[in-house]
Amino acid sequence: MTQAASNVAAPLHTPVEQVRVNRHRADWRGWKFVWPFALVFVFVFVIPIMYAVYISFFQQRMIGGTRFVGFDNYARLLHDRQFWSAVGRVALFTVVQVPVMLFLAAAMALALDSMKLHGTRFFRISTFLPYAVPAVVSTLIWGFMYGAKYGLVGSFNGFFGTHLDVLAPGVLLASIGNIVTWEFTGYNMLIFYSSLSTIPHSLYEAASIDGASEWQIVRAIKLPELRGSLAITVIFSIIGSFQLFNEPSIMQNMVPGNAISTYYTPNMYAYNLSFSGNQSNYAAALAIAMAVITMAIAYVVQLRSMKEQMR
Amino acid sequence: MRNSQKVLAVMTAVMTLTGLAACGNAGNAGNAGDADKAELVFWGWDTGHTMSDLIKDFQKANPGITVKFNNTGTASDTQTALSNAIAAGKGAPDVVMLEDPTVTQFAVTGDLVDLSQFGADKLADDFSAGPWNKLQYNGKPYALPIDSGPEMFFYNDAVFKKAGVDGTQIKTWDDYYEAAKKVRAIGSYMTNNSGSSMEYQPFTAQAWQAGAQPWKVDGENLTIDMTKDAGMKKYIEFQQKLIDEDLIDTKTANWSDDWNRELNDGTIASLTIGGWMPVNLMNGAPDQAGNWRVAQLPQWEEGDEASAEDGGSALAVVSQSKQQAAAYKFVEYLTHGEGAKTMADTGTFPSLKSILTSDDFTDPTTEANKKVNDYFGGQNVNEVLSEAAQRKVSEFSYLPYNPFAQSSFGDQISKAYNKEITLEEAFANYGKALAEHGTQQGYTVSNKG
Repeated sequence: MTQAASNVAAPLHTPVEQVRVNRHRADWRGWKFVWPFALVFVFVFVIPIMYAVYISFFQQRMIGGTRFVGFDNYARLLHDRQFWSAVGRVALFTVVQVPVMLFLAAAMALALDSMKLHGTRFFRISTFLPYAVPAVVSTLIWGFMYGAKYGLVGSFNGFFGTHLDVLAPGVLLASIGNIVTWEFTGYNMLIFYSSLSTIPHSLYEAASIDGASEWQIVRAIKLPELRGSLAITVIFSIIGSFQLFNEPSIMQNMVPGNAISTYYTPNMYAYNLSFSGNQSNYAAALAIAMAVITMAIAYVVQLRSMKEQMR
Repeated sequence: MRNSQKVLAVMTAVMTLTGLAACGNAGNAGNAGDADKAELVFWGWDTGHTMSDLIKDFQKANPGITVKFNNTGTASDTQTALSNAIAAGKGAPDVVMLEDPTVTQFAVTGDLVDLSQFGADKLADDFSAGPWNKLQYNGKPYALPIDSGPEMFFYNDAVFKKAGVDGTQIKTWDDYYEAAKKVRAIGSYMTNNSGSSMEYQPFTAQAWQAGAQPWKVDGENLTIDMTKDAGMKKYIEFQQKLIDEDLIDTKTANWSDDWNRELNDGTIASLTIGGWMPVNLMNGAPDQAGNWRVAQLPQWEEGDEASAEDGGSALAVVSQSKQQAAAYKFVEYLTHGEGAKTMADTGTFPSLKSILTSDDFTDPTTEANKKVNDYFGGQNVNEVLSEAAQRKVSEFSYLPYNPFAQSSFGDQISKAYNKEITLEEAFANYGKALAEHGTQQGYTVSNKG
């Protein structure tokens, strides 16, 4: 510690010019290390986004070819009822599913961290396991279980004489939410759990010497620690649910009728616009708009949590 | 200042050149190439796993031409890949396999070659009318059919017998309706229809058979008439009756897991679907072996013999190709020449009249025919299919943006099968959505309702 401090302090005693030269050289040296990353970053990240922004200003038509239309695609998006119904659907999904999932994840993390349970390792790995199952596979598994005629729900109905249908249009979104919760609770639990395990044990010892109950330890020590990771999990979850695609598009042919339309979520709408609607320019505009909306929401959430942490 | 002028001059020159190059691409003249010497690239799918043998035979017969087959997987993937290559201006194949209804989409934009310059228009009488008609644009053939799918009536005779219905006596849609009531009385459904995009093809086929012309294409002008057209009216009224009286299963979409299970356990008692269905039934409903039968489509007027097409694919020559004459040779070989015979022998349902009427095709002693006929309780299946394929079909055209029409169908029409709105309202909404899309694509659309 002291040695490092003296190293940093040393240049302060050298003449001013030398410092300047050093700083200049250091700049270039830094870039040399960064360029492999920067190159990949530019090619797979910056250029595709710039390209999407670029093509979103054009319109390709079967008659008349491609032409520059300025912000027309964005203007059309403002009045596109299908788009806004899709945004509304994922917003509703986010508002309900994310709190439920994060509450479950936090409760599980606290339970595992309480050190009062047997077989914590087994529970930790088994709640995390669904995250390792590809979304396609888990959706198929759940879809077959949900079937009101031939699935598990169907067997339940046959046994108890009920007429449950969890794939009916009214409850379908909740059923999809259940799949997503199953998939990602373990992942979020692990983030919470890892931040809990960074709490030094001396704090707990001090608390118990002061006569604090387990509940008081949770409230005064553990929950404040979770707040930091909560901001991360909330932002990840919001981004994830705004990008909802795999689950509904795989279930499209499993649900009765056509309950999952081609514009069920913004991502599905973008996909169908470009691949069956021949409107990839409009789909690009949609993607950009969705990115802006998601970023705005994530930013607001982060701002709030930062304010709270400041307090 | 002078520098910027130079830059401007160079840019203008470059743009003019690209412009000229683009013109060169658009025109077909001079792209015929050598008919006997070429290296062709061919995109398509290969469900029968016979393509490599077919290509070997073709190359033997045409020593100067080699064909490189690129298996693009499915029809929609092929179409997406072709769209991308066309947008990029290069990289498209010489020959491409397409689903019949998408051929006009590429013909309209000038991306496929009018095959009449190679004499394809003279082959009209050699093919069944159904598939042939679908491949015409402005009266010219833009592709040749590989196979066909005459719409047929398949029914489960065991379920029908239990319900007291004689399947052979269902001649009209009225008979069908009466039978549907009896089938429903024993707990089964006459058929399924959920109005999803999977039921788009059967819809077009049945509306077509009713003589409907919901879409008319005249170059850049489209006429859409989903509810006022006489044939559409017949179709809508009939379907609405089936929905209202709970005679069909409106929850199950074609090709879903539930669908196969219901075909297999007798919940769905009949299907109106393309003549390529037997092999799918044998795989999807193995428990019903011996029970299914095939018959001609019920008619709207007693004594009529109207048919329609459901599915089918075709081969076309792409405008980007510089070896169009050789490419056509290959197309002709697979669809009209020796190759067509090989394909029919390996399970493709043919569109060539000469094969359909040949003794081999309906011979019940060949191994392939015997297997199918056994599943159908000893019926000579190909004889029935062959008759259907040669029946007359009325004029029918798909929209040039057929993939959109298919996906949008599910969004709009399912609401009627879910009993939220009437089928007429749903088709009116559908017409509006189609008209709006057409306008966005630069067409002049008149929507009659």
